[in-house]
Amino acid sequence: MPLLELQQSLISALFQRDQLAEAAKLVKAQGSLSSEQRVGIYRNSTHGILLDYLESLYPVCLDLVGTEFFGRTAHSFMDQAPPTSPFLADYGAGFVTYLAEHPALQDMLWIVEVAKLEWARHAAWHTVNQVASDFAQLEGLSAAQQAELRFQLPASAHLISSSTPIHSIWLAHQEEYPDKPRLEEIDLQEAQQVLIFREQRRLHQTTLSADDWAFLNTLQQQATMSELAEQFAEQLPWLFSVAMQEGWIYSFTTD
Amino acid sequence: MTPNPILGCGIGLRFQHIDQILAEKPPIPWLEILSDNYLIPGSVQQDYAIEIAQHYPVTMHGVGMSLGATDPFNSEYFLRLKKLADQLNPAWISDHLCWTSAHGWVSHDLLPLPYTEETIKHVVQRIREAQDRLERRLVIENVSSYLQYQLSTLTEWEFITAVAEEADCKILLDVNNIYVSAFNHDFDPCRYLDSISIEHVQQFHLAGYEDKGTHLLDTHGHPVSDPVWGLYKLALQRFGALPTLIEWDNNIPSLEELLAEAHKATEAHIHAFA
Repeated sequence: MPLLELQQSLISALFQRDQLAEAAKLVKAQGSLSSEQRVGIYRNSTHGILLDYLESLYPVCLDLVGTEFFGRTAHSFMDQAPPTSPFLADYGAGFVTYLAEHPALQDMLWIVEVAKLEWARHAAWHTVNQVASDFAQLEGLSAAQQAELRFQLPASAHLISSSTPIHSIWLAHQEEYPDKPRLEEIDLQEAQQVLIFREQRRLHQTTLSADDWAFLNTLQQQATMSELAEQFAEQLPWLFSVAMQEGWIYSFTTD
Repeated sequence: MTPNPILGCGIGLRFQHIDQILAEKPPIPWLEILSDNYLIPGSVQQDYAIEIAQHYPVTMHGVGMSLGATDPFNSEYFLRLKKLADQLNPAWISDHLCWTSAHGWVSHDLLPLPYTEETIKHVVQRIREAQDRLERRLVIENVSSYLQYQLSTLTEWEFITAVAEEADCKILLDVNNIYVSAFNHDFDPCRYLDSISIEHVQQFHLAGYEDKGTHLLDTHGHPVSDPVWGLYKLALQRFGALPTLIEWDNNIPSLEELLAEAHKATEAHIHAFA
């Protein structure tokens, strides 16, 4: 049998349980383990590697749904959507959608919202570093140039608007926060807007007021300074000052 | 620039220990960086790896080349690996004599090859291409295995020796993997050691396995077992006091405990030639 066919048969068995017997035909039976059990060791090992990885991406979801449900769902997700990239960090975004479609979670979609937040944290951590603009250069711009200014959030920034208090739920599962809220005291109907971004080696996660949310969202849509002035009027200086102070604005462009 | 020499017994760099290593700069002979965790160009992960490489001699060790696969090489993977190597200046780059991808799927696990003349030709050509892409000689590691193919006509030691000779690459001899595979396939691990040509071996790996009753599983989650220490002493006598690395990927202990395990390997070096 050509190597190509052998490898296709074995990898199919890793992600399709019903292919185990077929792949086992390629393998010698030895000792107390059957050929199928030997292929099964690799299926378990591959799934184990990916399960460890998904658990590291979604630790709060894991706490919320429990090890057994998480494991069962993760294994089923792996079989439906095996990794296709050698870069493991690319894998797992689809797990959020998979959870959202899971029949058992239809009455607990707030858990899916927490999963969105956890993926955003992962994505923010792995975003490529960028160079901040030199904001002192703003002073030399003409009025016309200032009107056309566009400001950018950090490339790692993720703005999440959720009908669920995802930040509070996430915080309730962090061991290192002494004043963390208790999960049972959190009102699951409370909406929260959350910003996640990375500043060098530190990941920031914060809730935003409705005004700050609207402002950052408009910035992210590449509004010009004159458009911002029109939309936010007298609030603009304050919104701008808070955003700069908190590190939410990282760069600007003049063209 | 010539890389810093790799001497003595080092440890695999794990994310849990990076801040402590950078803050305390403990005396570690060398560190092995898991390439696959640092392949996003310009990421914070790479910043860490670059900083580590500024303070310690390093090697790069990966799982993603898929040297034995029949799928085409992932060019982006090699480009990023080469770029990382240019930044870290490792003494060498290693990966496994196995395959990880087929059919467009990637297992992220180390899958064994059938040991045949045809596979030797295929893998040799792939290793040569990988060496060309990376512009350096590769070091290939023997994997633990839990199955043998009906197709195989050679022993694993015959296979790896032929590949290393024909591809002109070096061997990273994982002593734990030899022991695990020997148990799982009922062969004599000493015969394996005795069959590997001395001039090809560049480095040793040591790690802990888990006894599952029916088989040994290479989990890297335990201290090195006594039988593997015994086999390691034989390896030292045959191949000399080559650089040795303790791998620990699950149930990761404190840095102190990990360094203590590396110290045991150092003592074995000393006693082997006392």
